[in-house]
Amino acid sequence: MFLTVFSLIVRRFLIALPILVIVSALLFAALRLIPVDPAAMSMPATATNEEIEAKRIEMGLDKPLPVQYAYWLSNIAAGDFGDSIHYRRPVIGLIGAALPQTIELAGLAMIIASIFGLAGGLLMFYFRGRVMASAIDFGSIVLLSLPDFLWGLFFILVFGVVLDVLPFTGRLSSGIEQPVVTGFLLLDALIRGEPYVAWDALRHMLLPAFALGLAFSPTIMRVLNSSLLDVYQEDFIQQARLRGVSERRILTRHALKNAVLPTLTLMGVQFGFLFGGTLLIEVIYSYPGIGNLMIGAVRDADLPMIQILGLTYCVAVLLISAIVDAMTLILNPKLRTPR
Amino acid sequence: MKRLPRWLRSGRVVAGLAIVVALLAIALLAPLLAPHDPEEQNILAALVPPAWSPDGDASFPLGTDSLGRCILSRLIYGSRVAMTVAVFASLGAMVVGTILAHLAGYFGGWVAWLIGRTVDVWMSFPPVVLSLILMTGFGVGLTNVVLAIILVDWTRFCRVLRVEVLTVVRRDYVAAARLLGFSHARTLRREVFPATLPLLVTILSLEAGIAVIVEAILSFVGLSVESNRAAWGQMIADARQTIYQSPWNLVLPILAIFITVFGFNMLGDGLRRTLDVRVSETRRG
Repeated sequence: MFLTVFSLIVRRFLIALPILVIVSALLFAALRLIPVDPAAMSMPATATNEEIEAKRIEMGLDKPLPVQYAYWLSNIAAGDFGDSIHYRRPVIGLIGAALPQTIELAGLAMIIASIFGLAGGLLMFYFRGRVMASAIDFGSIVLLSLPDFLWGLFFILVFGVVLDVLPFTGRLSSGIEQPVVTGFLLLDALIRGEPYVAWDALRHMLLPAFALGLAFSPTIMRVLNSSLLDVYQEDFIQQARLRGVSERRILTRHALKNAVLPTLTLMGVQFGFLFGGTLLIEVIYSYPGIGNLMIGAVRDADLPMIQILGLTYCVAVLLISAIVDAMTLILNPKLRTPR
Repeated sequence: MKRLPRWLRSGRVVAGLAIVVALLAIALLAPLLAPHDPEEQNILAALVPPAWSPDGDASFPLGTDSLGRCILSRLIYGSRVAMTVAVFASLGAMVVGTILAHLAGYFGGWVAWLIGRTVDVWMSFPPVVLSLILMTGFGVGLTNVVLAIILVDWTRFCRVLRVEVLTVVRRDYVAAARLLGFSHARTLRREVFPATLPLLVTILSLEAGIAVIVEAILSFVGLSVESNRAAWGQMIADARQTIYQSPWNLVLPILAIFITVFGFNMLGDGLRRTLDVRVSETRRG
């Protein structure tokens, strides 16, 4: 089994490389459409035209587009990801500090989405054919119609402004020093043995994570319900019933094992979307993750930043889908035998 | 009396259709319905609460924003942007995605390989991030928003429909059509395409809802229509500044987006249940 998983990872890596090259080329080309001059933007406002012209030649902007692209790519390969125009600091450092925050937020949101989604799906299936099931189904359409950032704003209004019970800006309350070990705030606070800091960080994450989690749960709910319905059509369920196995055991031991696989695949896809969907939530909650960086970079037309952030998102999505594939391979014995 | 077709007898379809038609009517008749010019500023009447609260003003039924613009009028005009994007972006994504899905599913071979790999590249990118990057490249404007959403979301149609086309193409009547000497184009248009229509209509309706959300996201960050045009996402972004003084400014555009997306989702879900034979058969089993 280890071998199959290993070969899958190698295969995914080989597919991922050309995809990354193409995505980087598309990113590069798309961003050259913008009518801004990167050379003029990276110089102080007092620079003369000659200085800007010199900078343009230094940056290689007078060369044809493919040459510029090759130049950019070779820089990345050499570990030089460029400087942010807006912050005037290396892009990689800014992203490196923000990425763990987004991973923590997306992870917590995914846990919330899974709890709501799986519980809702099971309930919907349990009440199948009854009025209650239609009610839950209707509820899931309502949930589906409210995107995460609308939940986010709504939560700020209810829990932050009207009830005033939870904080809704930033990562920590003012006056609390950020412990830095790994960059993952929640983890760092626990490593350092500072439960108060961890609790404060968690409180700051609750509203944004719930907003994201609620928005992503209905799809999980509906897929689990429909794959349970599909599994119950199969003969082995009828067989188990004839053998006198209790309904409860059929559900937990026989049906769920099979129905959870498509749900898991979907949850992987959802996690990829969720990771790329934290942008507005981060802006709304002033959360210092890569989504906030991305929106800022887009507003300032900060090209080096947008390019590397775009690639970061691409790598993250490819990585998540590879992990999910490996997981389904491990969990589903039918896929393990070599074809 | 002739009986209604099955899909029109579903409560969900009727409810969804009613909401969508009502919104389309509001968008089309905006100049007649709006009590004020949506851009007319009136600093003296800034942040007026809705008419039902004690300090309300009857001439501003839903109150005014921080610049004294009439919220109701802005919501009504905002529906024009939302519905334009919903209709044209989803139709455009449908045309692109459907054509590519049919080509890939029908011809197979290198055509399918090329289209499949293109979808892979697109899928390796979070959709919101991609639309943001495209809008940075294109610049603001209604046509650009529609174009960006089409360029991002055609894969939704392509992925789902390709599988459907693959199963339809294997059916005997398609082989029969080919044996009768019909051209590829005719077989695709007259035999394969109609069979995928139920699924297509369902995704179209769901995609319209997604397009409304994406437009709201883009206009929230100021990357949708020009700033002198009322859009719901922009109203939300403006209302965030005055969240303590007037929460209604924030709640109303959120409600508008929710109702619109809910209408499209109800319609799509109802159509899926009634048109997709496969689903309705499993459900009844």
